[in-house]
Amino acid sequence: MITFFSSQQVIKAEKVLRKNGFKVSLIPGPREISPNCGTALCFEYEKEKEISSTLKKNKIIFEAIHYYPEAKKISKWIES
Amino acid sequence: MGEVIYFDNAATSWPKPKQVLNAMEYYLEEIGGSPGRSGHRMSISASRLIEEARESVGNVFNFFDTSRIIFTKNVTEALNICIFSLLKPGDHAITSSTEHNSVMRPLRHLEKKGVSLSIVKCNSDGTLNPEEILKEIKENTKLVVLTHASNVTGTILLVEKAASICKEKNIPLLVDCAQTAGAVPMSIDLEKFNNCIMAFTGHKSLFGPTGTGGMCIGSNINLSPLICGGTGSKSDKDNQPEFLPDQLESGTINVIGLAGLKAGIDFLLKEGISKIRKHEKELVNAFINGATYIKGVKIYGTKNPEKQAGLVSFNIENMSPSIIGLILDRKYSIMCRIGLHCNPNAHKTDGTFPDGTIRFSFSYFNTIEQVEKSISALKEISVGKID
Repeated sequence: MITFFSSQQVIKAEKVLRKNGFKVSLIPGPREISPNCGTALCFEYEKEKEISSTLKKNKIIFEAIHYYPEAKKISKWIES
Repeated sequence: MGEVIYFDNAATSWPKPKQVLNAMEYYLEEIGGSPGRSGHRMSISASRLIEEARESVGNVFNFFDTSRIIFTKNVTEALNICIFSLLKPGDHAITSSTEHNSVMRPLRHLEKKGVSLSIVKCNSDGTLNPEEILKEIKENTKLVVLTHASNVTGTILLVEKAASICKEKNIPLLVDCAQTAGAVPMSIDLEKFNNCIMAFTGHKSLFGPTGTGGMCIGSNINLSPLICGGTGSKSDKDNQPEFLPDQLESGTINVIGLAGLKAGIDFLLKEGISKIRKHEKELVNAFINGATYIKGVKIYGTKNPEKQAGLVSFNIENMSPSIIGLILDRKYSIMCRIGLHCNPNAHKTDGTFPDGTIRFSFSYFNTIEQVEKSISALKEISVGKID
Protein backbone atom coordinates (compact mmCIF):
# COMPACT_ATOMS: atom_id res chain seq x y z
CA MET A 1 0.00 0.00 0.00
CA ILE A 2 1.21 3.49 -0.79
CA THR A 3 0.27 6.55 1.20
CA PHE A 4 0.45 10.09 -0.10
CA PHE A 5 0.52 13.59 1.33
CA SER A 6 -1.95 14.98 -1.20
CA SER A 7 -5.04 13.44 -2.76
CA GLN A 8 -4.04 15.02 -6.05
CA GLN A 9 -0.93 12.84 -6.16
CA VAL A 10 -3.01 9.70 -5.43
CA ILE A 11 -5.12 10.34 -8.52
CA LYS A 12 -2.02 11.02 -10.61
CA ALA A 13 -0.42 7.82 -9.30
CA GLU A 14 -3.51 5.76 -10.10
CA LYS A 15 -3.55 7.08 -13.65
CA VAL A 16 0.16 6.56 -14.29
CA LEU A 17 0.25 3.07 -12.78
CA ARG A 18 -2.84 1.87 -14.67
CA LYS A 19 -1.36 3.26 -17.88
CA ASN A 20 1.73 1.17 -17.18
CA GLY A 21 -0.34 -1.98 -16.74
CA PHE A 22 -0.31 -2.30 -12.94
CA LYS A 23 -3.39 -3.48 -11.09
CA VAL A 24 -4.11 -0.87 -8.44
CA SER A 25 -7.04 0.14 -6.28
CA LEU A 26 -7.84 3.24 -4.23
CA ILE A 27 -9.22 2.70 -0.74
CA PRO A 28 -9.81 4.81 2.39
CA GLY A 29 -6.35 5.30 3.94
CA PRO A 30 -5.92 3.29 7.18
CA ARG A 31 -5.34 5.84 9.96
CA GLU A 32 -3.00 3.50 11.83
CA ILE A 33 -0.62 3.72 8.87
CA SER A 34 -0.81 7.38 7.97
CA PRO A 35 -2.96 10.38 8.84
CA ASN A 36 -1.89 12.29 5.78
CA CYS A 37 -4.33 11.60 3.03
CA GLY A 38 -7.85 10.23 3.02
CA THR A 39 -7.10 7.85 0.19
CA ALA A 40 -4.39 5.22 -0.21
CA LEU A 41 -3.33 3.14 -3.18
CA CYS A 42 -3.22 -0.67 -2.91
CA PHE A 43 -1.17 -2.94 -5.12
CA GLU A 44 0.39 -6.37 -5.08
CA TYR A 45 3.39 -6.09 -2.76
CA GLU A 46 5.60 -8.20 -5.04
CA LYS A 47 5.56 -5.32 -7.56
CA GLU A 48 6.91 -2.85 -5.00
CA LYS A 49 10.16 -2.02 -6.78
CA GLU A 50 8.64 -1.59 -10.21
CA ILE A 51 5.83 0.55 -8.87
CA SER A 52 8.14 2.71 -6.81
CA SER A 53 10.41 3.38 -9.77
CA THR A 54 7.43 4.12 -12.07
CA LEU A 55 6.14 6.72 -9.61
CA LYS A 56 9.57 8.29 -9.20
CA LYS A 57 10.08 8.37 -12.96
CA ASN A 58 6.80 10.24 -13.31
CA LYS A 59 7.71 12.67 -10.49
CA ILE A 60 4.81 11.59 -8.32
CA ILE A 61 5.34 12.45 -4.70
CA PHE A 62 4.29 9.80 -2.20
CA GLU A 63 4.75 9.52 1.52
CA ALA A 64 5.75 5.86 1.92
CA ILE A 65 5.21 2.31 0.78
CA HIS A 66 3.89 0.04 3.49
CA TYR A 67 3.33 -3.65 3.79
CA TYR A 68 -0.30 -3.94 4.85
CA PRO A 69 -1.10 -7.54 5.86
CA GLU A 70 -4.69 -6.62 6.75
CA ALA A 71 -5.33 -6.21 3.05
CA LYS A 72 -5.45 -9.99 2.63
CA LYS A 73 -8.55 -10.20 4.80
CA ILE A 74 -10.39 -7.61 2.77
CA SER A 75 -8.93 -8.33 -0.65
CA LYS A 76 -12.36 -9.22 -2.03
CA TRP A 77 -13.51 -5.67 -1.35
CA ILE A 78 -10.30 -3.99 -2.41
CA GLU A 79 -10.49 -5.63 -5.82
CA SER A 80 -14.20 -4.99 -6.34
CA MET B 1 -38.02 41.65 -30.16
CA GLY B 2 -35.72 39.61 -32.35
CA GLU B 3 -33.00 37.15 -31.52
CA VAL B 4 -30.80 38.11 -28.59
CA ILE B 5 -27.38 39.21 -29.74
CA TYR B 6 -24.99 38.71 -26.86
CA PHE B 7 -21.90 40.91 -27.20
CA ASP B 8 -20.87 40.93 -23.52
CA ASN B 9 -18.56 37.93 -23.55
CA ALA B 10 -15.73 39.84 -21.88
CA ALA B 11 -17.95 40.07 -18.79
CA THR B 12 -19.03 36.44 -18.99
CA SER B 13 -19.48 34.25 -22.04
CA TRP B 14 -22.93 33.20 -23.21
CA PRO B 15 -24.13 30.84 -24.43
CA LYS B 16 -22.07 28.01 -22.99
CA PRO B 17 -21.60 24.80 -24.96
CA LYS B 18 -24.32 22.28 -24.09
CA GLN B 19 -21.59 19.93 -22.82
CA VAL B 20 -20.96 22.33 -19.92
CA LEU B 21 -24.49 22.00 -18.61
CA ASN B 22 -24.45 18.24 -19.16
CA ALA B 23 -21.19 17.85 -17.22
CA MET B 24 -22.51 19.89 -14.31
CA GLU B 25 -25.71 17.88 -14.21
CA TYR B 26 -23.72 14.64 -14.38
CA TYR B 27 -21.64 15.68 -11.39
CA LEU B 28 -24.69 16.48 -9.30
CA GLU B 29 -26.64 13.39 -10.29
CA GLU B 30 -23.99 10.72 -10.69
CA ILE B 31 -20.65 11.64 -9.15
CA GLY B 32 -21.48 13.61 -6.02
CA GLY B 33 -18.81 13.33 -3.39
CA SER B 34 -16.22 15.71 -1.99
CA PRO B 35 -12.80 15.34 -3.62
CA GLY B 36 -9.81 14.46 -1.49
CA ARG B 37 -11.83 14.07 1.67
CA SER B 38 -12.95 10.47 1.91
CA GLY B 39 -11.81 7.21 0.42
CA HIS B 40 -15.14 6.04 -0.96
CA ARG B 41 -15.76 5.72 -4.66
CA MET B 42 -17.86 8.88 -4.98
CA SER B 43 -15.14 10.98 -3.37
CA ILE B 44 -12.49 9.32 -5.54
CA SER B 45 -14.55 9.99 -8.69
CA ALA B 46 -14.77 13.65 -7.72
CA SER B 47 -10.98 13.72 -7.16
CA ARG B 48 -10.45 12.24 -10.61
CA LEU B 49 -12.72 14.88 -12.10
CA ILE B 50 -10.74 17.70 -10.49
CA GLU B 51 -7.45 16.24 -11.72
CA GLU B 52 -8.90 15.98 -15.24
CA ALA B 53 -9.98 19.63 -14.99
CA ARG B 54 -6.36 20.53 -14.12
CA GLU B 55 -5.15 18.57 -17.14
CA SER B 56 -7.62 20.43 -19.37
CA VAL B 57 -6.36 23.80 -18.09
CA GLY B 58 -2.81 22.55 -18.65
CA ASN B 59 -3.64 21.87 -22.30
CA VAL B 60 -4.68 25.52 -22.75
CA PHE B 61 -1.45 26.84 -21.21
CA ASN B 62 0.84 24.04 -22.46
CA PHE B 63 1.79 23.42 -18.85
CA PHE B 64 1.71 19.91 -17.53
CA ASP B 65 2.74 20.04 -13.87
CA THR B 66 -0.84 19.74 -12.63
CA SER B 67 0.16 20.17 -8.98
CA ARG B 68 1.03 23.77 -9.90
CA ILE B 69 -2.35 24.45 -11.53
CA ILE B 70 -4.45 25.97 -8.76
CA PHE B 71 -8.17 26.60 -8.78
CA THR B 72 -9.70 29.70 -7.22
CA LYS B 73 -13.15 31.21 -7.34
CA ASN B 74 -12.17 33.71 -10.06
CA VAL B 75 -9.13 35.37 -11.60
CA THR B 76 -9.35 38.18 -9.02
CA GLU B 77 -8.66 35.72 -6.22
CA ALA B 78 -5.69 34.24 -8.08
CA LEU B 79 -4.24 37.71 -8.72
CA ASN B 80 -4.74 38.66 -5.07
CA ILE B 81 -2.99 35.51 -3.82
CA CYS B 82 0.04 36.37 -5.96
CA ILE B 83 0.13 40.09 -5.17
CA PHE B 84 -0.28 39.62 -1.43
CA SER B 85 2.21 36.72 -1.35
CA LEU B 86 4.99 38.33 -3.32
CA LEU B 87 4.98 41.90 -1.97
CA LYS B 88 5.77 43.13 1.51
CA PRO B 89 6.41 46.66 2.87
CA GLY B 90 9.61 48.07 1.37
CA ASP B 91 9.21 46.14 -1.90
CA HIS B 92 8.63 47.70 -5.31
CA ALA B 93 6.19 46.53 -8.00
CA ILE B 94 5.72 47.48 -11.65
CA THR B 95 2.50 47.39 -13.59
CA SER B 96 0.94 49.08 -16.64
CA SER B 97 -1.60 51.85 -17.06
CA THR B 98 -4.14 49.48 -18.59
CA GLU B 99 -4.67 47.15 -15.64
CA HIS B 100 -8.06 46.09 -14.36
CA ASN B 101 -9.06 46.90 -10.78
CA SER B 102 -8.45 43.24 -9.91
CA VAL B 103 -4.76 44.17 -10.18
CA MET B 104 -4.82 47.88 -9.31
CA ARG B 105 -6.86 47.65 -6.11
CA PRO B 106 -4.68 45.06 -4.35
CA LEU B 107 -1.58 47.00 -5.47
CA ARG B 108 -3.02 50.31 -4.20
CA HIS B 109 -4.00 48.57 -0.97
CA LEU B 110 -0.40 47.45 -0.47
CA GLU B 111 0.93 50.86 -1.47
CA LYS B 112 -0.72 52.26 1.67
CA LYS B 113 1.21 49.64 3.64
CA GLY B 114 4.62 50.61 2.27
CA VAL B 115 4.94 48.93 -1.14
CA SER B 116 6.11 51.34 -3.84
CA LEU B 117 4.59 51.21 -7.29
CA SER B 118 5.64 52.18 -10.82
CA ILE B 119 2.86 52.37 -13.39
CA VAL B 120 4.30 52.19 -16.89
CA LYS B 121 2.24 54.29 -19.25
CA CYS B 122 0.74 52.59 -22.29
CA ASN B 123 0.21 54.42 -25.58
CA SER B 124 -3.28 55.77 -26.24
CA ASP B 125 -4.11 52.64 -28.29
CA GLY B 126 -3.27 50.53 -25.24
CA THR B 127 0.03 49.15 -26.57
CA LEU B 128 3.07 48.97 -24.32
CA ASN B 129 6.74 48.83 -25.16
CA PRO B 130 8.07 46.11 -22.80
CA GLU B 131 11.44 47.90 -22.70
CA GLU B 132 9.69 50.56 -20.60
CA ILE B 133 9.42 47.95 -17.84
CA LEU B 134 13.17 47.45 -17.87
CA LYS B 135 13.68 51.16 -17.16
CA GLU B 136 11.57 50.91 -14.02
CA ILE B 137 13.27 47.88 -12.49
CA LYS B 138 14.96 48.66 -9.17
CA GLU B 139 16.93 46.63 -6.69
CA ASN B 140 13.82 46.04 -4.58
CA THR B 141 11.46 45.20 -7.49
CA LYS B 142 9.74 42.00 -6.42
CA LEU B 143 6.89 41.72 -8.92
CA VAL B 144 5.77 42.81 -12.38
CA VAL B 145 2.05 42.50 -13.16
CA LEU B 146 0.71 42.81 -16.68
CA THR B 147 -2.55 42.05 -18.38
CA HIS B 148 -2.33 39.84 -21.46
CA ALA B 149 -5.04 41.95 -23.11
CA SER B 150 -6.87 45.06 -21.95
CA ASN B 151 -10.50 44.53 -21.02
CA VAL B 152 -11.29 48.03 -22.34
CA THR B 153 -9.55 48.23 -25.72
CA GLY B 154 -8.71 44.55 -26.19
CA THR B 155 -5.12 45.51 -26.97
CA ILE B 156 -2.76 42.56 -26.51
CA LEU B 157 0.42 43.32 -24.57
CA LEU B 158 3.70 41.70 -25.55
CA VAL B 159 3.92 39.68 -22.36
CA GLU B 160 6.42 37.19 -23.76
CA LYS B 161 8.98 40.00 -24.10
CA ALA B 162 8.21 41.09 -20.55
CA ALA B 163 8.69 37.47 -19.45
CA SER B 164 12.21 37.35 -20.81
CA ILE B 165 13.11 40.74 -19.32
CA CYS B 166 11.83 39.58 -15.92
CA LYS B 167 13.53 36.18 -16.23
CA GLU B 168 16.85 37.88 -16.87
CA LYS B 169 16.37 40.05 -13.79
CA ASN B 170 14.99 37.13 -11.73
CA ILE B 171 11.69 38.91 -11.01
CA PRO B 172 8.30 37.16 -10.94
CA LEU B 173 5.91 38.18 -13.73
CA LEU B 174 2.19 37.80 -13.05
CA VAL B 175 0.07 37.77 -16.23
CA ASP B 176 -3.66 38.46 -16.05
CA CYS B 177 -5.14 36.26 -18.81
CA ALA B 178 -8.78 37.11 -18.02
CA GLN B 179 -9.52 38.23 -21.56
CA THR B 180 -7.31 35.79 -23.44
CA ALA B 181 -7.25 32.29 -21.92
CA GLY B 182 -9.03 30.07 -24.42
CA ALA B 183 -9.34 32.75 -27.12
CA VAL B 184 -5.76 33.81 -27.81
CA PRO B 185 -2.88 31.29 -27.95
CA MET B 186 -0.68 31.53 -24.87
CA SER B 187 2.70 32.91 -25.84
CA ILE B 188 4.68 32.28 -22.65
CA ASP B 189 6.36 28.91 -22.20
CA LEU B 190 6.04 28.36 -18.45
CA GLU B 191 8.62 25.57 -18.48
CA LYS B 192 11.21 28.00 -19.79
CA PHE B 193 9.91 31.12 -18.06
CA ASN B 194 9.44 29.51 -14.66
CA ASN B 195 9.38 32.99 -13.08
CA CYS B 196 5.87 33.55 -14.49
CA ILE B 197 2.35 32.98 -13.23
CA MET B 198 -0.59 32.89 -15.62
CA ALA B 199 -3.88 33.77 -13.91
CA PHE B 200 -7.13 32.90 -15.66
CA THR B 201 -10.87 33.09 -15.30
CA GLY B 202 -13.05 30.11 -16.13
CA HIS B 203 -16.28 31.80 -17.17
CA LYS B 204 -15.19 33.85 -20.16
CA SER B 205 -13.39 32.31 -23.14
CA LEU B 206 -12.89 28.98 -21.37
CA PHE B 207 -16.71 28.60 -21.40
CA GLY B 208 -17.00 27.44 -17.78
CA PRO B 209 -19.55 28.73 -15.28
CA THR B 210 -18.98 31.71 -12.99
CA GLY B 211 -17.19 30.87 -9.75
CA THR B 212 -14.23 29.26 -11.53
CA GLY B 213 -10.73 30.56 -12.13
CA GLY B 214 -7.18 29.88 -11.12
CA MET B 215 -3.55 30.08 -12.12
CA CYS B 216 -0.60 28.15 -13.51
CA ILE B 217 2.46 28.76 -11.36
CA GLY B 218 5.99 28.53 -12.76
CA SER B 219 8.35 26.27 -10.81
CA ASN B 220 10.47 29.15 -9.53
CA ILE B 221 7.58 30.85 -7.73
CA ASN B 222 6.62 30.29 -4.10
CA LEU B 223 3.29 31.67 -2.94
CA SER B 224 1.50 31.74 0.38
CA PRO B 225 -2.22 31.27 0.95
CA LEU B 226 -4.78 34.05 1.44
CA ILE B 227 -7.13 31.54 3.01
CA CYS B 228 -6.13 28.62 5.24
CA GLY B 229 -8.24 25.66 6.23
CA GLY B 230 -9.16 22.07 5.53
CA THR B 231 -7.49 20.36 2.59
CA GLY B 232 -8.15 16.67 3.24
CA SER B 233 -4.41 16.19 3.70
CA LYS B 234 -2.19 16.28 6.81
CA SER B 235 -5.33 16.03 8.87
CA ASP B 236 -3.32 15.24 12.00
CA LYS B 237 -1.75 18.72 11.89
CA ASP B 238 -3.37 22.09 12.46
CA ASN B 239 -0.81 23.86 10.30
CA GLN B 240 -1.44 24.59 6.63
CA PRO B 241 0.26 22.08 4.27
CA GLU B 242 3.18 23.53 2.34
CA PHE B 243 2.76 21.50 -0.84
CA LEU B 244 0.70 22.38 -3.89
CA PRO B 245 -2.10 22.40 -4.79
CA ASP B 246 -3.35 21.87 -1.22
CA GLN B 247 -1.47 24.87 0.21
CA LEU B 248 -3.54 27.28 -1.89
CA GLU B 249 -6.85 25.38 -2.07
CA SER B 250 -8.43 25.36 1.37
CA GLY B 251 -12.05 24.45 1.86
CA THR B 252 -14.20 22.31 -0.41
CA ILE B 253 -13.41 23.12 -4.02
CA ASN B 254 -16.11 24.17 -6.52
CA VAL B 255 -16.51 20.69 -8.02
CA ILE B 256 -19.68 21.38 -9.99
CA GLY B 257 -18.16 24.55 -11.43
CA LEU B 258 -14.95 22.77 -12.37
CA ALA B 259 -16.93 19.93 -13.98
CA GLY B 260 -18.43 22.62 -16.22
CA LEU B 261 -15.08 24.31 -16.77
CA LYS B 262 -13.48 21.04 -17.85
CA ALA B 263 -16.29 20.46 -20.36
CA GLY B 264 -15.98 24.03 -21.64
CA ILE B 265 -12.23 23.68 -22.16
CA ASP B 266 -12.58 20.27 -23.78
CA PHE B 267 -15.10 21.82 -26.18
CA LEU B 268 -12.81 24.68 -27.16
CA LEU B 269 -9.75 22.45 -27.50
CA LYS B 270 -11.71 20.16 -29.81
CA GLU B 271 -12.69 23.15 -31.93
CA GLY B 272 -9.13 24.49 -31.69
CA ILE B 273 -7.93 27.76 -30.15
CA SER B 274 -6.49 28.90 -33.49
CA LYS B 275 -9.87 28.37 -35.19
CA ILE B 276 -11.62 30.28 -32.39
CA ARG B 277 -9.06 33.06 -32.61
CA LYS B 278 -9.51 33.28 -36.39
CA HIS B 279 -13.30 33.52 -36.03
CA GLU B 280 -13.08 36.26 -33.38
CA LYS B 281 -10.60 38.21 -35.50
CA GLU B 282 -13.08 38.05 -38.39
CA LEU B 283 -15.83 39.41 -36.13
CA VAL B 284 -13.60 42.23 -34.86
CA ASN B 285 -12.54 43.02 -38.40
CA ALA B 286 -16.14 43.07 -39.68
CA PHE B 287 -17.21 45.34 -36.83
CA ILE B 288 -14.31 47.77 -37.25
CA ASN B 289 -14.79 47.89 -41.02
CA GLY B 290 -18.49 48.58 -40.68
CA ALA B 291 -18.46 50.93 -37.71
CA THR B 292 -15.57 53.09 -38.92
CA TYR B 293 -17.80 54.56 -41.60
CA ILE B 294 -20.66 55.50 -39.29
CA LYS B 295 -20.59 59.24 -38.77
CA GLY B 296 -19.66 60.14 -35.20
CA VAL B 297 -18.34 56.70 -34.22
CA LYS B 298 -14.92 56.69 -32.60
CA ILE B 299 -13.21 53.34 -32.09
CA TYR B 300 -10.48 52.93 -29.46
CA GLY B 301 -7.50 50.60 -29.36
CA THR B 302 -5.25 49.47 -32.19
CA LYS B 303 -8.10 48.97 -34.70
CA ASN B 304 -6.05 45.98 -35.86
CA PRO B 305 -7.67 42.56 -35.20
CA GLU B 306 -4.22 40.94 -35.11
CA LYS B 307 -3.24 43.08 -32.15
CA GLN B 308 -6.33 42.73 -30.03
CA ALA B 309 -8.51 40.18 -28.29
CA GLY B 310 -12.09 39.72 -29.53
CA LEU B 311 -13.51 42.97 -28.24
CA VAL B 312 -13.90 46.55 -29.39
CA SER B 313 -14.59 49.74 -27.43
CA PHE B 314 -16.17 52.73 -29.12
CA ASN B 315 -18.30 55.82 -28.63
CA ILE B 316 -20.79 57.81 -30.67
CA GLU B 317 -20.15 61.53 -30.65
CA ASN B 318 -22.41 63.58 -28.37
CA MET B 319 -24.27 60.53 -27.09
CA SER B 320 -24.03 58.99 -23.66
CA PRO B 321 -22.84 55.35 -23.65
CA SER B 322 -25.59 54.51 -21.16
CA ILE B 323 -28.34 55.74 -23.50
CA ILE B 324 -26.82 53.82 -26.41
CA GLY B 325 -26.59 50.70 -24.22
CA LEU B 326 -30.24 51.03 -23.21
CA ILE B 327 -31.43 51.40 -26.80
CA LEU B 328 -29.25 48.52 -28.00
CA ASP B 329 -30.81 46.29 -25.35
CA ARG B 330 -34.46 47.36 -25.48
CA LYS B 331 -34.88 48.10 -29.18
CA TYR B 332 -32.35 45.77 -30.82
CA SER B 333 -31.82 43.01 -28.19
CA ILE B 334 -28.08 43.59 -28.31
CA MET B 335 -26.38 43.03 -24.94
CA CYS B 336 -23.16 44.91 -24.34
CA ARG B 337 -21.31 46.68 -21.57
CA ILE B 338 -21.24 50.44 -21.30
CA GLY B 339 -19.40 52.98 -19.17
CA LEU B 340 -16.24 52.34 -17.17
CA HIS B 341 -15.16 48.72 -17.31
CA CYS B 342 -13.68 48.40 -13.76
CA ASN B 343 -10.57 49.99 -15.15
CA PRO B 344 -10.23 53.76 -14.59
CA ASN B 345 -6.56 53.75 -15.64
CA ALA B 346 -7.25 52.28 -19.08
CA HIS B 347 -9.97 54.86 -19.64
CA LYS B 348 -7.55 57.62 -18.65
CA THR B 349 -4.99 56.12 -21.07
CA ASP B 350 -7.38 56.09 -24.03
CA GLY B 351 -9.01 59.40 -23.07
CA THR B 352 -12.48 58.04 -22.24
CA PHE B 353 -12.57 58.85 -18.51
CA PRO B 354 -15.09 59.44 -16.86
CA ASP B 355 -17.83 58.66 -19.41
CA GLY B 356 -16.36 55.38 -20.55
CA THR B 357 -17.16 53.48 -23.73
CA ILE B 358 -19.54 51.03 -25.31
CA ARG B 359 -17.86 47.66 -25.45
CA PHE B 360 -18.81 44.86 -27.82
CA SER B 361 -17.07 41.63 -26.85
CA PHE B 362 -17.46 38.61 -29.08
CA SER B 363 -17.30 34.87 -28.63
CA TYR B 364 -16.99 31.85 -30.88
CA PHE B 365 -20.79 31.65 -30.92
CA ASN B 366 -21.31 35.09 -32.47
CA THR B 367 -21.76 35.42 -36.22
CA ILE B 368 -20.86 37.93 -38.92
CA GLU B 369 -24.61 38.38 -39.46
CA GLN B 370 -25.00 39.51 -35.85
CA VAL B 371 -22.16 41.98 -36.30
CA GLU B 372 -23.87 43.34 -39.43
CA LYS B 373 -27.14 43.73 -37.51
CA SER B 374 -25.33 45.65 -34.80
CA ILE B 375 -23.80 47.99 -37.38
CA SER B 376 -27.25 48.70 -38.84
CA ALA B 377 -28.51 49.44 -35.31
CA LEU B 378 -25.63 51.81 -34.62
CA LYS B 379 -26.24 53.60 -37.92
CA GLU B 380 -29.84 54.27 -36.88
CA ILE B 381 -28.85 55.34 -33.37
CA SER B 382 -26.13 57.66 -34.69
CA VAL B 383 -28.65 59.63 -36.76
CA GLY B 384 -30.99 59.96 -33.83
CA LYS B 385 -33.51 57.24 -34.75
CA ILE B 386 -34.11 56.15 -31.18
CA ASP B 387 -37.90 55.94 -31.00
